[in-house]
Amino acid sequence: MTTEQQNKSKTLIRERSAKRRSLYKSIDRVMQFIFRLCGLIAALMIILIVFFVAARGIQVFLPGYENPVSLGEFLTGMRWRSDQGVYGVLFIVINTIVTAFFAGLIAFPLSVLSALMIVKIAPKRLSNALTTVVELLAAIPSVVYGVFASGAITGIVEKIAGWFNYTTFGGNSMLAVILLLAIMIYPTITSMAVVAIRAVPESHELGSLALGASRTQTNFKVVLSSAKSGIFAGLILGLGRAFGEATAVSMVAGNAFIGPTWNPFDLTRTLTTTMLSGLHETVGVDYDVRFSVGIVLMIIILVSNLAINALRKKMESGD
Amino acid sequence: MKNLKKILVLVLALVMMISVVTACGGDKKAEKETEKATEKETEKATEKETEKATEKETEKATEKETEKATEKETEKATEKETEAAPAGEMTGQINVYTRDAASGTREGFEKVVGFEDQLTDKANEVASNGEMATQVGSDVQGIGYVSLTTDFAANNLHPANYEGVEPSIETVIDGSYLLSRPFCYTTRASGDYESDEKEQLVKAFIAFMTESTEGKEAVLSAGGIVDVDDSTPWEELKADHPIVDQDNSTITIKTGGSTSVEKTLTAALEAFQPLAGNFEKVVEQTGSSDGWKRTLGGDKDGPNRADIGFASRNFKDEEPTEDAISAAKYCDDAIVVVIEKNNPLTNFTQQNLFDIFTGAVTNWEDIAK
Repeated sequence: MTTEQQNKSKTLIRERSAKRRSLYKSIDRVMQFIFRLCGLIAALMIILIVFFVAARGIQVFLPGYENPVSLGEFLTGMRWRSDQGVYGVLFIVINTIVTAFFAGLIAFPLSVLSALMIVKIAPKRLSNALTTVVELLAAIPSVVYGVFASGAITGIVEKIAGWFNYTTFGGNSMLAVILLLAIMIYPTITSMAVVAIRAVPESHELGSLALGASRTQTNFKVVLSSAKSGIFAGLILGLGRAFGEATAVSMVAGNAFIGPTWNPFDLTRTLTTTMLSGLHETVGVDYDVRFSVGIVLMIIILVSNLAINALRKKMESGD
Repeated sequence: MKNLKKILVLVLALVMMISVVTACGGDKKAEKETEKATEKETEKATEKETEKATEKETEKATEKETEKATEKETEKATEKETEAAPAGEMTGQINVYTRDAASGTREGFEKVVGFEDQLTDKANEVASNGEMATQVGSDVQGIGYVSLTTDFAANNLHPANYEGVEPSIETVIDGSYLLSRPFCYTTRASGDYESDEKEQLVKAFIAFMTESTEGKEAVLSAGGIVDVDDSTPWEELKADHPIVDQDNSTITIKTGGSTSVEKTLTAALEAFQPLAGNFEKVVEQTGSSDGWKRTLGGDKDGPNRADIGFASRNFKDEEPTEDAISAAKYCDDAIVVVIEKNNPLTNFTQQNLFDIFTGAVTNWEDIAK
C-alpha cells in the first residue's frame, strides 16, 4: 500500500466518522427533545389536575355559586350531611390523619424489620421467597383487599369489640380501617426499604464488623441509619397510599356523619370515602364539594410529606 | 429459583383449596345451627302470637260486636294485630344502615317514610344496593333497605312487611304496598338525533317498552313491576312503526342514567332487538342524575351523549323534560326494609321506620308495637 493510498483511506475514515458524529449529534438532539417533551407532559399533567380540581373545588365557596357553602363552616365543621346541605370537613380530616397514622404506626416497624430480614438475615432462598410474597401483596388490587376486609377483618373486629362490651356495625369501624390500611401499606414500605437496605455499601458493614460491633448492632446502627433516606421515602409512599385509598376503605369505614371518631369500634369517614360515596348519582353542590375535599386531601398529603422530610433531615443532622 | 416459585404457587393453591373446603364445611354447620335456631324461634313466636292474638281478638270482637262492627272494621283489626307481632327476644342497639345521599333508593325511601333530611347521625352509609344487602345480612342488629329485586335468601336477609303488607309484585301493582319508586325514561328532543331512522327506532322502542305485552313481560321478568294485563300485543302496535321492518344493524341505541334500571332496561332492549332489525345497543348506566344530563342537559352533545336517559325517581323540577319526544314512568320498583334473618321482627309501620331512621328509637326493645 502506498502512502497516498493510506492517506486517502485515512481521510475517508475521517470523513465517515465526522458524518457519523453529526448523525449522532442530531439523534441526540431528537432524543433530548423527546425527553423534554415527556418532562413537559408530566409537569403539565400535574398542573392540569391541580388547576382543574382547584377551580372546581373553590367555586362552591364563591358568592356567585348556587347555594354556596361557607368556607369557615366547611373547614371547621364536625358534621357531613349532604342530604341537609351541611358540609363540615374538619372531623373527616382528623379521622383520615388518625387512621393513616395508626396504620403507619403498625406497618412501619413491621416493614422495616421484615426488609432487614429479607436483605440481611434470611438465607438466600428464603429471602427470595419472601420478596416474591411482598411483591404479590403489593400487586393485589385494592378492591380485593376491601372484600377481604369486609369478610375477615370485620369479623375479628366484631369479636374484639365483644370482649370490651361494645356493639359495632357488623365490624365496620375505625379499627377495621386501620388494620386494613396497615396490611395495604405494608408491602409498599417493605419493598422500598428492601431497595434502600440493598443499596447500603458492603464496606460500611464490614467496617463496623471489623471494629468489633455485633451483627445486630451493625444491622440497626449502620445499615438502617445508612438506608434511612430510602426507608423514609417508603414511609411517604405508604402513607400516601393510606391517605389515598378509597375503594377498600369505603367497604369497612361505614361513613359516619359526625365525628371525629375516637372510639376504635365506632364508624369513621375518611376524605376519600367521602369523595367516592355516591359520586355517580349526584349533581350540584354535593358533586362540586367533592373537589373541595380533594383539595384538602392534596394539602394534607403535601404537608405530611414535608413533615416526614423535615423529620428525616432532623434525624440525619442529629446523628 | 424457578422451583421455588413453583413451590410457592403450589402452596398458595393448596391454601386456597383448604380455605374453600373449610368455608363450605363451616357454612353447612352454620346453616344447620341457624335452621335449628329459627325453627325454635318461630315455634315460640307463633305460640306467643296465637296466644296474644286470640286474647285480643276475643276482647276486641266482643267490644266491636256491641258497637255494631262492620266486616271491614274487623278486617282492619286483624291487620293491626299482625302488625303488633311480638318483638321476640330482640334487644340491644339498632344499627341503622343507609345508602349514600345520591342514591335513588334512599331518596324514594326517605320520601315515602317521610323523614327527608332527618336521618339520624348514627348511621352506617353504604355505597350500593349489594353492599347494603351483604352488610345488613351479616349484622343481626342491623336494619336497612334494598330494592325488591335483591336476592334476600342469598344475603341472609329477611324482607319485612310495610304497614302489614308483604312486599311483592302483586301488592305493588294493586297499590297496597306503599314503599315503591318509579323508573322513568326520557328521550332526546325531537330532531336532536343523528338520523331520522334512529329517532323512529327510539320511538318504536319506547312504544314496545311501555305498551306492548312482550316489552312489559321482559321488564317484569327482570324485576320491574308493571301490569302486563294492561297491554297490547306488539303485532298490533308494530303498524305505527314501519322502521322495525328494515335492517337496522347499523344503528346503535345508547342509553344512560340510573344504574338501578339496568336489569329491566337490558331485558327490554334484548327482547326488542330481534323484532326491530337487530339494531346495536350500548347500555351505559352511571346514575339517575346523568339520565337527564346526557339526553337533554349539559352533556347532551358531549362524548357521553345518550339516546334515552333513565332515572330511578321522577325527573326533578330542574330537569325539565318538555322538549323530549316522550318522558314518563315505565315501571315501578319496590323498596324493601330488610333485617338479618334471625331477627324475629316481621313488620314495620311508617311510624316505626320514622322512629328508627330518625334516631328517636335506638333499641330494638323500644320499638312501638
